[in-house]
Amino acid sequence: MSTMDSISRFVRTRITRIVIVITLLSAVAGYFFSSPEINNLNAELNLWNMNIITFTLFIGLITIYFSYSKSVSQRSTNWPFRLYALVLIIVWIVMGLYSGLYSDMYQTAFLSTKITLHIAILGQLIFFYLSAMYRTFRVKTLRTGILVIFALAMVVLNSPITLSNWSAADQISYWLLNNPGMGGARAVVLASGVGGVVLALRILMGLEKGALRATGG
Amino acid sequence: MISPDPWVWLSAILTMCSFSLLYGDNKFFRFAEHTFTAVVIGHNVVMGVFTLKDRFYPLYAGQKLLLIIPLVLGIMVIFMIWRKYAWLAAIPMAIMIGVSQGITVRALINTDVMGNVKAVISEGASIFVGNPADGVGTLIRVAFTITAVFYFLFTFTFKSTTSRPLEYFRTFGKYVLLIFIGIYVGNQSMQNSMLATSAINRLVRNWLGFG
Amino acid sequence: MKIPELQARHVWAIVLIGYLIPAFIPLGMSPVISSATQTVYDTIQALPPNSIVMCGGGGVFAFDLESSAGLIAALKQMSKLNVKVVFYPMWIETMQFSKYCVDSARVDEKYGGPWKYGRDYVILPYIPGNEVGLVSFLNDVKKTVSTDYAGTPISQLPIMDSLNNYKDISLWICAQWDGVTILRYVTGEYGIKVMWFAQSSAYSAFGPYMQVYPGKIYITNGALGGAQYEKLNGIKGLGHAALDSNVVFTLMFIGFLVLGNLTMLYGNKKVEK
Repeated sequence: MSTMDSISRFVRTRITRIVIVITLLSAVAGYFFSSPEINNLNAELNLWNMNIITFTLFIGLITIYFSYSKSVSQRSTNWPFRLYALVLIIVWIVMGLYSGLYSDMYQTAFLSTKITLHIAILGQLIFFYLSAMYRTFRVKTLRTGILVIFALAMVVLNSPITLSNWSAADQISYWLLNNPGMGGARAVVLASGVGGVVLALRILMGLEKGALRATGG
Repeated sequence: MISPDPWVWLSAILTMCSFSLLYGDNKFFRFAEHTFTAVVIGHNVVMGVFTLKDRFYPLYAGQKLLLIIPLVLGIMVIFMIWRKYAWLAAIPMAIMIGVSQGITVRALINTDVMGNVKAVISEGASIFVGNPADGVGTLIRVAFTITAVFYFLFTFTFKSTTSRPLEYFRTFGKYVLLIFIGIYVGNQSMQNSMLATSAINRLVRNWLGFG
Repeated sequence: MKIPELQARHVWAIVLIGYLIPAFIPLGMSPVISSATQTVYDTIQALPPNSIVMCGGGGVFAFDLESSAGLIAALKQMSKLNVKVVFYPMWIETMQFSKYCVDSARVDEKYGGPWKYGRDYVILPYIPGNEVGLVSFLNDVKKTVSTDYAGTPISQLPIMDSLNNYKDISLWICAQWDGVTILRYVTGEYGIKVMWFAQSSAYSAFGPYMQVYPGKIYITNGALGGAQYEKLNGIKGLGHAALDSNVVFTLMFIGFLVLGNLTMLYGNKKVEK
């Protein structure tokens, strides 16, 4: 094993574990115990974390650049569109840096492109939703029946036409949300909370190597 | 009357290109897809540049020289892209993971777990107190929560004298979750409906000038 | 009698026609005010003068559009009260969303509104780190942010003189998808009241937090809640536009549900490939 490999292994296994223990415990201990020193350390680490995260915004650019330029040079599928995307990225960056994030021009461009597309892509889902619903919401078993009844109840009771003609619809809708619906929602929140705590403990104990191992080597 | 604004025309063309996917995969959708990707990446970079200027302002102004450390760590994190030097990104990644997990876990313990457990216990104590109609709702809430949590956390089978009643408990919990999923699906479909409305209104009202 | 199975494209065509109808011909549906929306309105209306209200969270703009109706109406309401608003962008699109809401509400003096930037409202820059940035901000504002979105030092903005930490915040309004992070930290750790103009699915999924902190968290229900809030403020915006299509959506939902089940009962045995 070369020196570089030894150093990289030492950093990825030992150093990262020490760093994780210090950072994670300072955040937790600072909240549950009263200690100005731990609070100061935690506050400083929070600021460092925020500053480091800012650099991750550039990773997408580098990744896309390498991927798309390879695709263009090899003339693979969709290469004209990828070339177009690479050019548009540069144009957009120049426009953004020149006009500023809060300028009317940038805002109009952003709303007319990204937001419009995002809304259209997400709005298309309603077509697939309704066609999937037509196929799958068929009451063959008790389970499907329960699913269908409560989904239908939510849609009908929240509809403006129901609310304007039947005053009790609003109260029934909120009762369903706040009582039978609340039970399941609370269970999901509780169980995911327990899962999150377990994940943090596994990270603390060094059992979760996923993100750090993904740095390669 | 059709809008003369070029941005409205661009918006309408991109919306129609996106909806063309319903007809099948085609070049127009590919154009819209790559436009979306490019704008997202471009926006991230522009946002990154301006955020860096803000985050490291105290360093530029000479107020806090300690910020050199996160500056170096931030540059190190970019090395995660190259396999050979990816180990350099391990330390800043460890800081990001440790700090965010630490902050998250205390909220999960405080709010998601203990908060909900306390709410269930206090509601359990108030089932027979006050208005009977409210008491029924409270009973439903408490019973449904307990059975659904039981289903989530104890979904393993074992053979014993208590396995039969516990199986009924688990099955009831499963139906409680189905109720929640049904309610969630109903609400989610309304959310997507609103997005479809917004997209179509952009075409019909903003672009074509109807309505 | 056999009912044929509709192909997916037939369903999509019917859905498209269904959504086009209210776009061309507005139905003029009016919202019915719910108790939750009324409580949010009354809470904001009762804010003492010179209160600092934070508006922020993390979210994807496209999702947040649904709740923008409520936030725009709330901004109009707050512009008539003597309160100060600070926008806190937690995700990379939230700054653009904040600008969209401020411009749509037309509260800035450049649109003839009563608000002057720096004195009545401020937009902070994107604060990375999600919950990490939020906790840092609530503990020490001046340490976390040094400038506003335009790079102006916050020492030059009068509104930021009286905002040092969570104790100076009277209310937090969230109109973003990631309102859960706001609930967990702003209310959970620092006890600040939160009004969440939530998306429809968020209400059903995150309603438990209202029970965990009773009296401190109020959530409105999606575009319908936004339409109700618009009505309380005497305006007609995106929320009202969503009401018309919601009626058509409900009819299509019921129609396809009934048709699907009738097809199952009486349909032929061929299954579409």
